[in-house]
Amino acid sequence: MYDQKTINFMNNNKSKTYNFHVHGMHCNACVLLIESELANYPGVTHVKATLSSRSVDVSGDFGNKTDEEVAKFLSIPIQDNGYTLSLEKQVEMSKWSDFKIAIPIALLFAVLFVVLQKVGLVNLISSGSVTYGTAFVIGIVASLSTCMAVVGGLLLSMSATFAKEGDRVKPQILFHIGRLVTFFVLGGVIGAIGSAFALNVSMTFVLNLLIGLVMLILGINLLGVFHFTKKLQPAMPKFIGKYAHEVSKFNHTLTPFLVGIATFFLPCGFTQSMQIYTLSTGSFLEGGLTMLIFALGTLPVLALISFSSWNIKNSSKAGIFFKTAGLVVIMFAIFNLINALAVVGIIPPIINF
Amino acid sequence: MKSALIPISIILASLLIVAVIIFTGGNSEALDGNNVSIVDGVQIIEIDAKGGYTPRKSVAKAGIPTVLRFNTKGTFDCSLSIRIPSMGISQILPQTGSTDINIPNPESKTLQGMCGMGMYPFEIDFQS
Repeated sequence: MYDQKTINFMNNNKSKTYNFHVHGMHCNACVLLIESELANYPGVTHVKATLSSRSVDVSGDFGNKTDEEVAKFLSIPIQDNGYTLSLEKQVEMSKWSDFKIAIPIALLFAVLFVVLQKVGLVNLISSGSVTYGTAFVIGIVASLSTCMAVVGGLLLSMSATFAKEGDRVKPQILFHIGRLVTFFVLGGVIGAIGSAFALNVSMTFVLNLLIGLVMLILGINLLGVFHFTKKLQPAMPKFIGKYAHEVSKFNHTLTPFLVGIATFFLPCGFTQSMQIYTLSTGSFLEGGLTMLIFALGTLPVLALISFSSWNIKNSSKAGIFFKTAGLVVIMFAIFNLINALAVVGIIPPIINF
Repeated sequence: MKSALIPISIILASLLIVAVIIFTGGNSEALDGNNVSIVDGVQIIEIDAKGGYTPRKSVAKAGIPTVLRFNTKGTFDCSLSIRIPSMGISQILPQTGSTDINIPNPESKTLQGMCGMGMYPFEIDFQS
């Protein structure tokens, strides 16, 4: 007759190897993150995660828990990052039926986008001089213009991708902080030194092409249908695996911040013309405020885009949301690529708004 | 109830599109010659730049000294940034004003240009 304590003690001496399927693991960074989180978790002696099979082998002793309880127990340290462990193989996420709803919604967005370009919103800006009030209106108009295809498309692809990895709030906020701070600081610098940060034709072309391709890859990934593009996602070298966790955090913090900064230089006619206006202000404060207020004008629409992915991860509509976002991002990517090629004269202009 | 929202919104959107096409259709197509004048042997082609280029298509004579004149008035959109790839032109217009681009001897072909982001095209058909 043994008491409960003794049974626990006896079981504790036995280390067992489990194989779990990981929901939500889809990139090399995930592998590193999961391994580093689990390796330091009580009871774990050995961890090996595999991306191709989306599984993790865990050795260790976890008392007299059943396999299901171990899966639940080991999910605790990684669930904040959007991963869960289970015994049964994950049913393939890509439900084709989601497209029945995602395609019409995406088309609706496309149509809305074209309509917005056709209604002549630019005529709302009638005054030749720029006050802070007009800067704000120009910002609102800009956020509904074709600049949405570049800035909005990039933002949607980024926020939906982060949301898919379970990080919904922080990257979005960092993006907006990066954007607003940059617009104020660089606007001030332009006003103070009196020269604009204009990219030349070939640099703009390279930037356009790069944005278009990144958006295309992210968009296809969001569809969750094709798996080959995952290999195209920038992967971190394995040798920094030791710092995997820190690197992953860094990635989720720095990337959106840098993208926010980069939006100052993205090809958007309104941003460019505001920068040119700012040149004439001749003062840091006035230049900075003009650009900041312009950026604030673009904020409502951009915030709507970036926070569309809030609360979506765990809802049953998540599949539809990510597929719709993927389709919209792909359309914007193609739009940007066609324009980029037309502007340098490689193809004749196709898009005509 | 929720499932009904999607078809309803699609129908509403399509109605909106049809309305927009009807009300904005036929704006600023080829205005043959109206914007082209010859003053003292110099051909002047005037194009308004705001929310796109008006007229989109101009017809002009090839082989005579030509000035492409872009007029802006409170323009803040992409049409400020003019691109004519075949001539290597990439220029930013003032928000309000008039900017001349000289074409000393235009060949008889169609010159294509667009704004810096590509979605507002314009063309000038130089005919011999």
